[in-house]
Amino acid sequence: MIIEDGRVVASTQIGELGALLSIYAPDVASRASAGQFVHVRPGTGWDPLLRRPYSFCRIDRRGGEVELIVKPLGPGGEWIATRHVGETLDLLGPLGTAFVVRRDTKNLLLVAGGTGIAPMRVIAEQEAARRSVTLVMGGRSVAYLWPSDRLPASVEYVATTDDGSFGIKGRVTDVMPDLLGWADQLLACGPWPMLAAIGRMRDDAARGPVVPGRQALIDAQIAVEQHMGCAMGVCRACVIVTANGNARVCREGPVFALGDVAFEAGEPATVGLT
Amino acid sequence: MPSARVSPEERLEHAAEGEEERDAVELASLDGATIIEAATGEPEEAVATPSIAIDAERLADAQIVTTKEETWPERGVDLEVDAARGLRLKNPVLTASGTFGQGIEYAELIDVSRLGAIVNKGTTRNPRPGNPQYRIAETPAGILNSIGLENPGAAEVARVYGPKWAKLRVPVIVNVAGYSVDDYVFVVEALAQTPGVVAFELNISCPNVEGGLLFGQDPALAAEVTRAVRETTDLPVIVKLTPSATDVVAVARAVEEAGADGLTAINTVLGMRIDTAKRRPILGTGSGGLSGPAIRPIAVHITYQVAQAVSIPIIGAGGVTSADDALEFLMAGASAVQVGTATFADPEVPLRVIEGLAAYVREQKLSSIRDVIGAALPNGGRMVPRG
Repeated sequence: MIIEDGRVVASTQIGELGALLSIYAPDVASRASAGQFVHVRPGTGWDPLLRRPYSFCRIDRRGGEVELIVKPLGPGGEWIATRHVGETLDLLGPLGTAFVVRRDTKNLLLVAGGTGIAPMRVIAEQEAARRSVTLVMGGRSVAYLWPSDRLPASVEYVATTDDGSFGIKGRVTDVMPDLLGWADQLLACGPWPMLAAIGRMRDDAARGPVVPGRQALIDAQIAVEQHMGCAMGVCRACVIVTANGNARVCREGPVFALGDVAFEAGEPATVGLT
Repeated sequence: MPSARVSPEERLEHAAEGEEERDAVELASLDGATIIEAATGEPEEAVATPSIAIDAERLADAQIVTTKEETWPERGVDLEVDAARGLRLKNPVLTASGTFGQGIEYAELIDVSRLGAIVNKGTTRNPRPGNPQYRIAETPAGILNSIGLENPGAAEVARVYGPKWAKLRVPVIVNVAGYSVDDYVFVVEALAQTPGVVAFELNISCPNVEGGLLFGQDPALAAEVTRAVRETTDLPVIVKLTPSATDVVAVARAVEEAGADGLTAINTVLGMRIDTAKRRPILGTGSGGLSGPAIRPIAVHITYQVAQAVSIPIIGAGGVTSADDALEFLMAGASAVQVGTATFADPEVPLRVIEGLAAYVREQKLSSIRDVIGAALPNGGRMVPRG
């Protein structure tokens, strides 16, 4: 990873998801992979102090650009989200692990919730010409969905909303059973309750008979979020519990095998009770 | 508007048409695949059932940043200090425990061999899983943390990181934490022979774990643990003071009397933030340790007080972000400083502090950085025994 001053080249509001910042940062872009993230400094001073982690939402290596979705959460997120075209952003990255799409995957199922769309969009763009890709995205309402015109045309887009304002009324896990039989591989990113619900589907599938889609659930990869400090693996603020013990989301993650992550009541399992 | 759903059969046909030779090549060139390869030594296609566990330490080995000494801006300036009795360092800038891991992580970004020394993550007798989430919260110009001394235990630290420290070409100070005098002695014995280790820093003040506060708040207990460690090793022993003590100066005097070779002033300050929506503290343990620029005036003041009460060197710590901040500590009587929280925001701060101190020595036409140690004290200077 490196530290690079990126230059904002475009800024667009994507409904309630946040500001979509296009940033010219060729050194970061050339190293970045879907699922990895950059740690962005919210200013040049010491208040707010901590960098904010954002998963790549687009990686254009040839053009030297990356895109990030920035929710204006707190003073740091707000500062980053309101950068204008031409201003610079101090980027540390790319950091963490990436999603791995298997070479033999023909049918790729992507599941996203909220800003969890970011890495799923990167994969959709990278894989659309190579294999069959279906993206399931869930949100509170239509304002929280990713616009379909910002996806490759060949990607099948299935939307769910809690209030039924667009697509299918319900959650992503309501439509997943219909799609899993088709899928060779499943990748997901979103809030913890969503990932935990997919984790329960995996547990059920692992106990159940061999049916189409079972292996995709069992082998699923997820990218998770956690309150983060350094993002360099030193402070251990972002650890979660996995089958391999404590794991740093910034280092061993953010992409994990779904089956390795321990959940507890729809949230990451509590650390420290071993 | 989502397009009409396509049946799985149609999709398979579509996929067969779209499959191209170059795809596999491009995929293999992705960094993600490269990282997996670097970590597992296996080609990407061998990851049939993806196991995403990455051996970060092994990965770090391959990517340590090194620069030529001839290119260091601080070259040729006398920045040498005795950070503790018997601990002469090439410059007075260290990294603070808990903010620099085991030294290898930031070595991927900066040349850590330029640092005076690094202080590793608090090490305990047994492995510790650490505290429940959340472990970190932001505060005005600072952070609160409650990590809970998560570490793999002294034996594992020696086994895994010893060989890496030997390669880093920077002195390592082991930060020792414990819950009994025996715990401290055990950790020091386990790491005293480890290559690269030049001194021990006793964390008698970690406010996050029940019981950890006691040693640093009581001059007699602090002296007891210092004496026990003093008798265990010939390496310099530094005691990290807690601002939570009622009389920090009394603790400083007591540990000097018990044989401490140096002091670090200060550890984090106890604090709390409340999540007003959830009506409960943000941190999983309720309270945590405050660090960052927010505590700098507290740390400078304690340094100033302690410097007038003891004759062993002091390492100032608390919110250092620049050479000017470091100079405040040096002029208050510290012989060196630790950079901690600022590194999270800007990993280059420790090196920039070194460069800034070198520039200051040049501009002020000093013979060495030592000339400013204690310059702000009532007597206008501080004489600490050298060597």
